[in-house]
Amino acid sequence: MARKTLGIDLNRVEGDLEFEVDLEDGRIVGARCIGTLFRGFEQLLVDRAPRDSLVITPRVCGICGTAHLYTAVLALERLAQLPVPPQATLIRNLCLMAENVQSDLRQTFLFFVPDFLNPRYGDHPMAAAVARAFQPMKGSAVLGALGVTRRILQVVAIFGGQWPHSSYMLPGGVTRGANARDIVDCRELVESTVAWLEDDVLGDRLEAFLALDTLAALERWLAEPVRAERAMTLFCNFSRSVGLDRIGGGARTFLSGGSYHDPDSWGPPCGEQKTLLAAGIFEADGGTLAPFDPDRITEHVRHSWFRSYAGGRHPFEGETVPDYQPGSDRYTWAKAPRYGEQVVETGPLAELLAAGDALCRDILATLGPNTWLRQFARLRRAARTLALMRGQVDALARRIGEPHYRHPPEGAFEQGEGFGIVQAARGTLGHWMQVEDGRISRYQIVTPTAWNASPKDSAGRHGHWEQSVIGLQLADEADPVELGHIVRSHDPCLVCTVHFAGSGRRFRYGV
Amino acid sequence: MPNMLWMQTGACSGDSMSLLTADGPSIEGLIRSGAIELLWHPSLTDAPSGYFATLVERIESGEQGLDILCIEGSIVTGPYGSGMFDSHRGRPKMQIVSALAARARTVVAVGTCAAFGGVHAAPPNPSDSIGLQYDHADPGGLLGEDWRAGDGRPVINLAGCPVHPLTITRTLSMLATGTPFELDFLNRPQVFFASTVHQGCTRNEYHEYDVEDREPGGKACMYFNLGCQGPSTLANCNGELWNNRSSKTRAGVPCFGCTSPDFPRDGDLFRTDKIGDVPVTLPLGVSRARYMAYKNLAKAAAPVRLIKREMEP
Repeated sequence: MARKTLGIDLNRVEGDLEFEVDLEDGRIVGARCIGTLFRGFEQLLVDRAPRDSLVITPRVCGICGTAHLYTAVLALERLAQLPVPPQATLIRNLCLMAENVQSDLRQTFLFFVPDFLNPRYGDHPMAAAVARAFQPMKGSAVLGALGVTRRILQVVAIFGGQWPHSSYMLPGGVTRGANARDIVDCRELVESTVAWLEDDVLGDRLEAFLALDTLAALERWLAEPVRAERAMTLFCNFSRSVGLDRIGGGARTFLSGGSYHDPDSWGPPCGEQKTLLAAGIFEADGGTLAPFDPDRITEHVRHSWFRSYAGGRHPFEGETVPDYQPGSDRYTWAKAPRYGEQVVETGPLAELLAAGDALCRDILATLGPNTWLRQFARLRRAARTLALMRGQVDALARRIGEPHYRHPPEGAFEQGEGFGIVQAARGTLGHWMQVEDGRISRYQIVTPTAWNASPKDSAGRHGHWEQSVIGLQLADEADPVELGHIVRSHDPCLVCTVHFAGSGRRFRYGV
Repeated sequence: MPNMLWMQTGACSGDSMSLLTADGPSIEGLIRSGAIELLWHPSLTDAPSGYFATLVERIESGEQGLDILCIEGSIVTGPYGSGMFDSHRGRPKMQIVSALAARARTVVAVGTCAAFGGVHAAPPNPSDSIGLQYDHADPGGLLGEDWRAGDGRPVINLAGCPVHPLTITRTLSMLATGTPFELDFLNRPQVFFASTVHQGCTRNEYHEYDVEDREPGGKACMYFNLGCQGPSTLANCNGELWNNRSSKTRAGVPCFGCTSPDFPRDGDLFRTDKIGDVPVTLPLGVSRARYMAYKNLAKAAAPVRLIKREMEP
């Protein structure tokens, strides 16, 4: 038996991802997912004014800064127990929806499908059609996605001034309310995106696609000649023809923190988070859904380059002191988040499973977790989110003239703790903050990719990505395209994984 | 056709996202028209795993020429000067950047992080981040004050967190086509950094008559109380609207001065530090005594429609 270790670095992810896999006769028997960047974001926040988190944390990630802003503002509102006008929550939801649609479409058409043009698939019967649609920077679906993502982001610019990186959500509301012109503009931006999706991707009405509820129904729909060369059909048929529906299962437990706060109920006591898409823990085995309890989140550092502590710690008790130890059994700048000691997967698939999407649940029950389903769920979520945006714009139109901001009382942020959780583009995102004497004393961020790309924990359990590639047979060790498919199906955001050092004291490392 | 290699160091990908948001010129337009050959971009290149490492080797050995090197992200030098907080295949990225810069005809710092250190270099700078040729406002950085690229120019600093989308693609187009342009005192292309954020802000009439908001969420000027740095920040945010729509200040978000070397400043970002009633940091080049006299007169002249906040920003 030939055993060797292969180092693989992957592009077309956000940030830097290196994977180290142990092979026996071309089969992966061990995997280490390596985050290679430490930025110390949480240390940057300690000792700053609490609201500065609204400027600093969006800079954790250029592709999901709106999600960080939303999460940070929820933490401040929970800390200070602030009422929030419904109009503000509607505007926040619309902006986060726009950002998620942007991310889902760019990730699918710019990062995921280029692998279909790999030389390995040169003789595939669909090769020519795939190239016409998916060739990087030139294919029809790619150019279309570039165009519509620019437009849908204008929703964020209308309310926040710019995308990426604005700070228009403030504890107590948003910086500006909607007027009639904004409503017209938002409708147009949503409808033009829907039109592209219907014409170029689906070849059908959005509602018809969303009404599909079983794998069999989806297969019949895909087989209709009218949509033979539509992007969705090409993506599904090609993926399944090369077996992406049979690889990359992973953890089999799915975490969704819930999506989009309910405008009418978000406010004191800020206890549970009522959301438009429900939160939950979904089990692939048995298809059961359990409630999500943020208190059960812990983070481990046993295999990370941080000062050791035993077991896992809840973010409010977290500590992160960098301790670079090359040559040890520690291998990454990422921590290992666990839910009640369980390894979980998060992302659009988890979000749709928890929210009761019948089609995704049926595919999961029929085929089990796999790479195609995970990526399919991302496109499905984009479609669902656009449908949700229509409803939010209508609801916002009825709130014109209502308050969009209530100024917090003097001294609201002197003392206390709060957290926020949203579903960002890549899954569950949480911020936990503590404030003493009007200054941030601790800030912990657990990002979606931290869940998915986590290293082994103190009990030796592999993280979800590591699990999803162990057992995989590589056809060509020099170009492990299967591994690329699996990892990219998670929409990896390594800039988002690896900065969670810091909290506790302000700490200067280095000379 | 000039080629371009885009590399990320300590980054959030925000400048890459800004690049994708530019629509005229767009990155796909520059590629299609033959203005630029994309050798590498971490998010956009469809080359197989390992291609970047090979490309770096070939450029270092001189086998492959490099016209435009774009760096996105802070240069991370920690821990203990090793650079291992940010590595590629076990090699510190700061070493790779130095090696590529030595071969490049032109080097562009895309974003405030690569230019000056940026958000990661804010106190206490846990990763020991610096910029390519600056450490905040101090010349030096990774490459040193006297360093020059193959074309004789210092690092071209495209400041901003992120850089304005069109500033990226227009600069690339100018470089690709040999269109001449001047750099300012921080080596930023003057054509994009010769106006204040304040210029073109739709709250200017409020500012003109000293009608200042004390709480966020309003319609008036944010300079005196809410931390807005617009009058002292050089950037074209209100001359070239973001996403073809708006700007932060128009939407009621104070300018945080993200094109400046000291971004993010070490103070409450949503509050203006003042001496008496007047901000510590005055509009660029203005004398305090005269500014106070002007503001007192202006306030007395303020029309009711502004005092009552009847004007939409």
